[in-house]
Amino acid sequence: MIDQLVTIDPVAIAIPAFVALIIIELLAVRLGWHGDYDWRDTGTSLVMGLGSTIAGAVVGGAVAGIAIFVWQHRLFDVPLTWWSLALCFVLDDLGYYVFHRSAHRVRWFWASHVIHHSSQHYNLSTALRQTWTGAFSLGFIFRLPLLLIGFPPALVIFCGGVNLIYQFWIHTELVGRMPRWFEAVMNTPSHHRAHHGTNPRYLDRNFAGVFIIWDRMFGTFEAERADDPPRYGIIRNLATFNPLWVAVHEWLGIARDLAGARSLKAAWAAIAAPPGTLSGETADMLRASWQADAGVAAPTRNQAGAAVPAE
Amino acid sequence: MLVFSLIGVALLIGLARLLGFARRGGLVDAGLAERLAVDALPGFRPCDVAVSRDGAGALVAGRDGRVALVRPLGDRFVVRPLAHPLVARAGAVLRVRPDEMMFPETALDLGEGAASLWAARL
Repeated sequence: MIDQLVTIDPVAIAIPAFVALIIIELLAVRLGWHGDYDWRDTGTSLVMGLGSTIAGAVVGGAVAGIAIFVWQHRLFDVPLTWWSLALCFVLDDLGYYVFHRSAHRVRWFWASHVIHHSSQHYNLSTALRQTWTGAFSLGFIFRLPLLLIGFPPALVIFCGGVNLIYQFWIHTELVGRMPRWFEAVMNTPSHHRAHHGTNPRYLDRNFAGVFIIWDRMFGTFEAERADDPPRYGIIRNLATFNPLWVAVHEWLGIARDLAGARSLKAAWAAIAAPPGTLSGETADMLRASWQADAGVAAPTRNQAGAAVPAE
Repeated sequence: MLVFSLIGVALLIGLARLLGFARRGGLVDAGLAERLAVDALPGFRPCDVAVSRDGAGALVAGRDGRVALVRPLGDRFVVRPLAHPLVARAGAVLRVRPDEMMFPETALDLGEGAASLWAARL
């Protein structure tokens, strides 16, 4: 049963549902529900999503080869069972948290991930705004530990697919808050709206994929606040909808800064330091500046969860 | 498969446009230009603003000497602090382009006096 289940490509099955939900959201927003679309922005997001699928297919074989190589050197033989499926899903989500945090804190990974944040809108089409350079940025290395432990590749791929599907529905403004217990454990539209916010309060917060517990555990949780609604996008929003520029702009930024580097330290900063280091605009710097301006005390871990409800 | 995907993408884009999600963000309000600059540039304190008469954009000066360009993109806006911009004035129109790839030139119809003043400022 499980061995048949994990041969399914859950993302391929979900794509019609993605399309249907985008249509429903478009109609709902048109009828006055909360949210917004811009056809040009949606076009860019959908083209990025299509390009990401094509890029994944092109390099998928090489990534699969690396995955199988690592699995051949596994530490344990993890069987295909219900418990290993559940364990793999939770550990994969922890791996996603580490990947996602790295994708915001290391410019090399950010150059690939920034694509997803480059829309000033937040709707279901934003969920499909995905990178074309994920394999180039080596983002897949964050899933290799599961294979090294001994989880079968098919199981890891299946769990990754389900994780990706879960993250689709949280890209919406239609949903305010879910029940309290759900908000406590799961990543939700509210938590992820905050993640997409460029307000200093929300920068580099809520890295969760499925379970928000990782952010609560590791001190990166920030609740969405009604008195500080997220302004979506990136610190320097792009001035074009051109998908090619969306795909490569940060890579070219790295190349430009590398070319101008006068020391190894500067070159390292151009590649691996937090985004904004060279311009003095990292998330930490912006938050500190905002806190100093507004007289806001740095929130403790307990205070972070006690924000004003959004609705 | 790729053909079906392309058709699906085109249909969704067309539907979004058909449903009216095609607004253009005109910038005619000085207060909005100031707020956008403040939101985008931490620590920015506006002290002067000039808005293009056709809504094509605005220049916002800060107390610290920085000048920000605000221009529409779709139904939203983009803001850039101007460091070494390309500037050209022709009568009442000031053409400004930040030193950044793929950032389009913005033609600001400010009126002759204001265009001259802001050209000197940049």
